[in-house]
Amino acid sequence: MSEVNTSRHVYEAQTGYFEDTAGGGGIAGHLRRNRIAYVGGALMLAIAIGIRIYQQMMAFSVGMDYYEPEFQAYWMPLLYGEIAVLGSVMVFGSIYMWVTRVRDVSTITPQVELKRYFTLLGVFTVLGIWAAMIAALAVESDAAWHQVAIRDTDFTPTHIVIFYFSLPLLTAILIPTFIWAHTRIPAFMNRVSIPFLGVVCGIFMIMPNYGFNEWGHTFFYAEELFAAPIHWGFVVLGWSLFFLGPLAVQIIQRMAQLIAVVTSGRDCIVPNG
Amino acid sequence: MANIALPASKITDPAGYYDLSVLDNPSARRYYRRFDGILIVVLFSFLALGISIHYALTAGDWDYWIDWRDRRWWPLITPMSLMMFIAAFVYPIWKAFRLPIIATAVTTLLCLVSWVSRYFNFGQFTDFPMTFTFPSTYIGLGILLDCTLLLTRSLTASAFAGPFLFGALIWPINWPLFAAYKVPVEYSGTLVSLSDLMGYQYIRTTTPEYLRIIEESTLRTFGGSVTPLTAVFSAFVAVVTYSLFLLLGTAIYNLAGRYVRRIV
Repeated sequence: MSEVNTSRHVYEAQTGYFEDTAGGGGIAGHLRRNRIAYVGGALMLAIAIGIRIYQQMMAFSVGMDYYEPEFQAYWMPLLYGEIAVLGSVMVFGSIYMWVTRVRDVSTITPQVELKRYFTLLGVFTVLGIWAAMIAALAVESDAAWHQVAIRDTDFTPTHIVIFYFSLPLLTAILIPTFIWAHTRIPAFMNRVSIPFLGVVCGIFMIMPNYGFNEWGHTFFYAEELFAAPIHWGFVVLGWSLFFLGPLAVQIIQRMAQLIAVVTSGRDCIVPNG
Repeated sequence: MANIALPASKITDPAGYYDLSVLDNPSARRYYRRFDGILIVVLFSFLALGISIHYALTAGDWDYWIDWRDRRWWPLITPMSLMMFIAAFVYPIWKAFRLPIIATAVTTLLCLVSWVSRYFNFGQFTDFPMTFTFPSTYIGLGILLDCTLLLTRSLTASAFAGPFLFGALIWPINWPLFAAYKVPVEYSGTLVSLSDLMGYQYIRTTTPEYLRIIEESTLRTFGGSVTPLTAVFSAFVAVVTYSLFLLLGTAIYNLAGRYVRRIV
């Protein structure tokens, strides 16, 4: 660590370029204290563990039959709460991001743009932590549930956790983030990134696919063979994650330019992609 | 904050190529290290989610239960499923970063999330024994696939050799895990395997016995040749699937520089 600091001081002495890191200010401070990632990630972990404990305790005791009063008392309020929270986050978040958009790109300096990229990556980190929680705790819980319970209605404990909360939460955060990025980060402004759009649309379209899934299970396919064609819509829409590769390249290319400009003090030719 | 008002030289030469020496300073290196850390967390987390959904809904049934892991369908379906997801990510990661890591990363992540999931979901949540629902292993196959890319440094050559090995070796690499469950036992006068017997004991309400897709039709007439025959066919299927999804990954990667006009 001291080696790095020493070489930084030599570099600063040679170039006349100084970076104010005292007190963790500026971009370096933002990196050290990427609160979105730490606080958001901790919040996601807490929610995931909390909802998993609730599912473990309440699924078999009061969640076996939608028509029972206990189900209405312990599971449906959770569903209504999820819909209200996620709907509010998505709608009001999106409206807020759009209404407060930046209208003049020239006011955004390279430092501010780089800082916003790290904020964007902070949000993706939070979503990544949530994605890992879904992968480990949620996806197969529905498979396990269906092997010991008989399908009754569209509302089962595992559906209320996975279909109506876990996956929609990704969408509820991704859509405002998409608007935020396209109205604050110059490389995305006044145009739309196809890879970013691909990731957002693919994950969003999983929700309409729930409708087909439940409709199909109601009318022509009562079994729950996971590899059955009725589920392939989820697979194809999950392939929207393939767009993460080109999106990462878009972000990395631009961040490399910005890091070069911000840390070298040399002039900026930033062609916006 | 950086003083960008210093007398400046351009970070690109007249031909438009970047002068990478501008990144050779301690501040830039620090940014890059943090940047790399974030990217690894994000990419691997979403890879874990993607492969868990993709795999569960294309080959999950064969992996959930030991009695579904037969000689005919499981070794065919599983490489096909994994090749789809792996191949689509191999191209961008190789093209942009020259890292032959995706097959190993995906199979390792799948192994991790599968063990956590089987323990909490099948074990703790629905009380199936772990000896009945433990996941298979594909990490060795992923390493082999990545090694073919590392050694050949050719996407084309590795698209033949890597998936072929992946499909052909899936059964032998898992055999040490399965062997004990394939011991023959007599059950009500019928010869079944130990894993079949476990399947009869643990009732699965939405995948009843008539849905158990194993050892169907006339392949039994090949006697002891079922496993090698399936291995060869599986290897060819894996090569074709890998190649098709490598093309898909290439097409999607080429969207990296693409934007469309905003409509609002």
